[in-house]
Amino acid sequence: MTEPETSPLAPLLEAVGLSKTFGIVEVLKDVNLTVRPGEVHAIIGENGAGKSTLMKILAGNQPPTRGEMRMDGEVVSFSGPVDAENRGIVLVHQEILLAPDLTVAQNIYLGRELHKGIFIDDRAMNEGAASAIRDLGGDIDPNAIVSRLSIAQRQIVQIARVLLVPHRIVIFDEPTASLTPHETEALLKVIKDIRAKGVGVLYISHRLPEVKEIADRVTVLRDGRLVASHPASELEPADMARLMVGRDVAKLYPDRQAAAAREAVLQVAHLNVPGYAQDASFELRKGEILGFAGLVGAGRTELMEGLVGLRPSRGAVRLNGRPVDFRDVHTSLKAGIAYLSEDRKGKGLLLSKDLRVNLTLSSLGKFVGALQIDRKRESEALDQAIRDFDIRTGRKDILAGQLSGGNQQKLLLAKMMMLDPSIVIIDEPTRGIDIGNKEQIYKFIARLAEEGRSIIVVSSEMPELIGICDRILVMRSGRIVGEVTGEHMNENEIVQLATGVKTGEAA
Amino acid sequence: MRRRTFGMAAAALAASVAVGPSLGWAQEEKKVTIGVSIPAADHGWTAGVVFHAERVAKLLMQEHKGLNVIVKTSPDPASQANAVQDLAVQGIDGLVILPTDPDPLVNAIQQVKDSGKFVALVDRAPSNNDNSVRDLYVAGNNPALGQVAGEYIKKTTPNAQVVVIRGLPIPIDQQRQDGFDKGIAGSGVKILERQYGNWNRDDAFRVMQDYLTKYPKIDVVWCQDDDMAVGVLEAIQQAKRTDIQYVVAGAGSKDMVKRVMDGDKMIPVDVLYPPSMVATAMQLTAAHFYDQVPVSGEYILDATLVTKENAKDFYFPDSPF
Amino acid sequence: MSSVATEPAKAPKTSKDWDMAAIAPFIALALLLVLGYFANPNFVSVANILNVITRSAFIAIIALGATYVISSGGLDLSVGSMVAFVASLMILFLNSGTIADPTLLLIAGMGLTIAMGAACGLANGLITTIGRIEPFIATLGTMGIYRGLTTWLSQGGAITLRDRELQALYRPVYFGSVGGIPVPIIIIFVTAAICAFVLYRTRYGRHVVAVGSNEDVARYSGISVNRVRTVAYVIQGLCVAVAVLLYVPRLGSTSATTGILWELQAITAVVVGGTALRGGVGRIWGTVCGAFILEIVGNIMLLSNFVSEYLIGAIQGAIIIIAMLVQRSLMRK
Repeated sequence: MTEPETSPLAPLLEAVGLSKTFGIVEVLKDVNLTVRPGEVHAIIGENGAGKSTLMKILAGNQPPTRGEMRMDGEVVSFSGPVDAENRGIVLVHQEILLAPDLTVAQNIYLGRELHKGIFIDDRAMNEGAASAIRDLGGDIDPNAIVSRLSIAQRQIVQIARVLLVPHRIVIFDEPTASLTPHETEALLKVIKDIRAKGVGVLYISHRLPEVKEIADRVTVLRDGRLVASHPASELEPADMARLMVGRDVAKLYPDRQAAAAREAVLQVAHLNVPGYAQDASFELRKGEILGFAGLVGAGRTELMEGLVGLRPSRGAVRLNGRPVDFRDVHTSLKAGIAYLSEDRKGKGLLLSKDLRVNLTLSSLGKFVGALQIDRKRESEALDQAIRDFDIRTGRKDILAGQLSGGNQQKLLLAKMMMLDPSIVIIDEPTRGIDIGNKEQIYKFIARLAEEGRSIIVVSSEMPELIGICDRILVMRSGRIVGEVTGEHMNENEIVQLATGVKTGEAA
Repeated sequence: MRRRTFGMAAAALAASVAVGPSLGWAQEEKKVTIGVSIPAADHGWTAGVVFHAERVAKLLMQEHKGLNVIVKTSPDPASQANAVQDLAVQGIDGLVILPTDPDPLVNAIQQVKDSGKFVALVDRAPSNNDNSVRDLYVAGNNPALGQVAGEYIKKTTPNAQVVVIRGLPIPIDQQRQDGFDKGIAGSGVKILERQYGNWNRDDAFRVMQDYLTKYPKIDVVWCQDDDMAVGVLEAIQQAKRTDIQYVVAGAGSKDMVKRVMDGDKMIPVDVLYPPSMVATAMQLTAAHFYDQVPVSGEYILDATLVTKENAKDFYFPDSPF
Repeated sequence: MSSVATEPAKAPKTSKDWDMAAIAPFIALALLLVLGYFANPNFVSVANILNVITRSAFIAIIALGATYVISSGGLDLSVGSMVAFVASLMILFLNSGTIADPTLLLIAGMGLTIAMGAACGLANGLITTIGRIEPFIATLGTMGIYRGLTTWLSQGGAITLRDRELQALYRPVYFGSVGGIPVPIIIIFVTAAICAFVLYRTRYGRHVVAVGSNEDVARYSGISVNRVRTVAYVIQGLCVAVAVLLYVPRLGSTSATTGILWELQAITAVVVGGTALRGGVGRIWGTVCGAFILEIVGNIMLLSNFVSEYLIGAIQGAIIIIAMLVQRSLMRK
C-alpha cells in the first residue's frame, strides 16, 4: 500500500527488519517501522506482542539482535538510552518514575539541575518547570511535593521532564492507563500540540478509541510480528481489536440476565472514611454486580478500603442483616468479604514470590496440617487455579512479577477466591490489561455473580461498568451522588453525575 | 578498671617520657622543705601510697642534706584541705599531693600554687588539670607495664616462645608493646605472634584458641590485662595443653592478684599500676630543687611486678575490680 | 505466550535461580576452607574446625533470630547489649542462691533467662510496632538501655558466677561434647533446624516473609503485620537467651563490654548468608553458614603468617565483600 495520506516529509527514523531473541525465544521478528515528523504513529498489540521490546530497542535500552535503524538516512546504533536521547529520541514511561519526596521542579530538573556558580538555581528551575507545565496545559505548582499530586498530575510532570530534552521523536508507552477520561482528553491534546511542532510521536496504548482519535497511522503487532500497518483513517477500533487478537472480539462483555431483585447481603449506612468519603449509604444484593463510577480521587477506593477495615471508618454496616465492624482485613475476609486492590503490584501480589505462595497467602489456614504447611496441597490448589482462571504461564515456578498484567489479575482473583467469599470487591479489574484478558476477566466476574456471590466493581472505565454491571453508583468528592440503572446506564449520564453537571438520583 | 582509664588519660597527655628511678646526684646543701599530702591508708592501694611516701621521704632526706620532707595523711577532702593549709603555714617550697578527691581540693592546691610554690599532683587530676594548678602531674603507667612484664619473662624463661595478646589499636597499647620489646631486648625470648584481643575476655579466648591451634609449643602468654587473662586461661584449660608455663597479665585485679598470692603456677606474677607513683613524684620534686633538670609537665612512671611474695600488698578483696 | 517472553528484559528470576542464591554462601564457605588449608595446614584439623564452629555459636544463634527480624523487614541493634544484660541477670540470679539445690537453681536460672530474653525481644517488638518507631532508632535506644543496665548491675566491673559447684555443674553446657561433637555445635544445629522449620514450613514463617516482602500486600491479604513483626522480635530475644545459656558457662562472668558489636556481626552473618537486608527473604542455613564464614575468616587470619595484625580488620572486610560478590555473581547466573 502506498502512503499518500501520511506526511510527505522525509522520515525521522526508519527501522528495518528489527528482531530480538532472548535465548531461544524470538520476541520480535522482522519488524519495519517508519516515524515521520508531525505524525502520531500508534503501536498496538496484546501484552506480549512485542511492543515493549520494540520501544526499548528504539529508545536505546536494548540492542536489536538483527536489523538496523536509520536516522536521516544514516545507520545508527544506540549504546544506551542516553545515546538515543542525544539523538533526540525520548521515552515517556508507562510507570511514573519520579522521586516522590522532591518537588515538581526538582523532579523535572533531576540530574540536570541548573546552576548559578556553585549554587543550584532554584528560581530558574521553578520558572522553567512552571512554563514547561503550562506548555502541556497543566496547572501545577512547581514547588509542590510530587507525592501530594494526583496520578494525572504526576504524569504531566513526567512528560514535562522528558520533553525538557531536545527531542525529535517522543515515545509514549501506555500513557493513559491510569488516567480518567477527562485527564486522557487533556493528555491527547498535549500530544496533538507536540505533533503540531513537527515532532514524531510513537504512541502505545490499549485503548483503541483513543488510538482512533489521535493516531495518524496504526501498526499492529501480534506474537512479535508486524501484522498490519495502516493509516488510522482506514481502521475502526473493532478492526484494530480483530487484528490484535487475530480473531473477532466484538463481544467483549458477557451476556447476563439482569439479576432479579433479591435480598440485600450488605447494607452500608452513613459510612464515613475520614478525609475521603462521607455519609456513604448503599445496598448490595445477592448475585448482583454493582458498579462504582467516578473520577480518580472521588473516594471510591478509600470507601471500599474503609469498608473492609483497611482504613479507619465510622458508620453502620450490616452483613446478612447482622451489624459488623471490621478492624482489619483478617476479620472482613473471615466474614466473607474479599477486596482486590487496584494496585495489583503494590498491594495485591508479592511480585518476588512464586505463584504458589501468592495464591495461598490469604488462606494459609486451609493448608496447615498439624503444624506445617502442606505444600503438596498448595501445588494442587495452584494447578486448580491455573485451570479455573486460565492463568497463562509456561512454568509454574516463576515469580508473580513475571506474569503479564492480565495473568497477575487472574492470579489475584484466584487468591482471593481461595477463601470462597460471598462478597467480592474488585477495584479497577482491568487496568493495564490487554483486550483478550479483559474479556476473560469480565467472564469470571459474571461467573462469580452467577454462583450467587455479590460483586462490587470500582472502575474508571465507564464502558466496562456499563458492560457488566446491574447498577452503577456514581461518586464525586467522597459522596455517592447518584445511581444509574437500566436504560440510564450510559456514559453521558455517569459523566454528568461524576463531574457535578447533574446531581441527584438518575434512576 | 579505674587504673586503666587513668592510664589512658595520662598517656594521651604525656608522650613517652622515660623517667629513671634515681634522679638525685646533686651536691648542694640548699635548704628546701617539701610537703607531702596523701590520703590515709584506708585500703591496700592507699596503704601502698603511704608506705612509699614515707620510705622515699627518708631516702630523699638522706640524699640531700638540706631537704626536709613532711608527710601528712588525711582521711577525707576537708581534712586534707586543712592539712595543705597547715603545710603552707609551715613554709614549704614544694607540695606533692595525691588528693583524696581532686575537685574539692583544687582551691587549696591553687592557693599554694599561686603563692609561687612548686606543686606536684599525683594520680588523681581535677577537671582543670593544667599548669595553672600544678607544675607537675605524675601518673602511673604504660610503657613500664610492658617493660616489667618483658623483663620478668626475660629473667625467668630467657628462651621462651611467647604469644602476645594486645589490647585495642590505640597509643597506650602501642606503648605497652614497645615497653615489652625493650624489656625482652637482648634475650632469647621469641615473640611468636601479636594479635588484638580488644581488652575483652571473649576476644582473648578466641585469639588464644587460635594460637593454640597454630603453635604446637607455647611457653608464655603475655596478655597485659587481667580481664583478657580470664579468657586465655579458659582456652588453655579447654585445650588441655601443658606446654604453657605461665601467663603474664596486668592491672592488678583482685582475682589475678589472689592467684599470684595463692601461688598459681599459671599466674606467677601480675603487673600493676604502682601506688609508688607518689614516691616518684617526690623524687622529681626534689630533683626540681637540687638538679639542673627542668621538671614540669606530665610524667608517667613504673609499673610494679606483683609476685607471690608481694601479692598480698596489692590484694583488695573489697574492690569491684 | 508465556510470560518469559513477555518480560524478557528482566533477568528471569525463577525459584530455580533462588536455589542458586541459597547455595552461594556454602560455596563461599568451601572456598574459604580451601584458602584456610593453604594458609596453615593445621586449619583443617578436626580440633581447629570444632573450635571455630563452637565459638561461632553465640553469633550463629543470635543471627538466627536476626534472620527472622530482618526478613520481616525489621532490624535489631540491641542484641549485643541484650546478651550482656540477660547474662548478667542470669549470673546474679545464680549467685543469689534462692534455691538451695544447685541443679534446680540452674534450671530455674535457665528458665528465667529464656523469659528475660523473650521479654527484652517483646519490648523491642512493641516499641517498633505499637510505638511506630523506626526499628533502627528503637533498637538503638534499647541497645543503650540494656548496656547501661548491665554497667549499672556490674558497677562498672565484672559480674562473676561465684559458686564453684554450680560452675562445675554448668560448665559442660559449653565445654562438654556428645559423641565427640561439642554441645554448642549441637545447639546451633538444633536451633537452626527449629528456626528453619518455623520459617519455611509454618504459616507464621510464610507470613514473616510476606510482611518483609511487601507490607501492604500482607495487610491487604489479611495478615496482622504488627503481630508478625512483634513475634519476630520475640524470637530474636529467645535466640539471644539461648546464646546466653551457652555464654555463661564459658567464662562464668560478664562485664560492661560483653557482647559489644555482636549485633553487627549477627547482621553481617545474616546478610552474608544470603538474606536480603531489605526483608522478604530469609535463609536460615545461609545464616548459619554466614556465622561460620565470619568466624573462619578471623581464624584464618590468625593462623596465617602473611597478614600483619594491623591489617586484619581490612582483610576481614575485604573477604566479606568478596564473599558477597561471589554470591551475587552466582545469583545473576
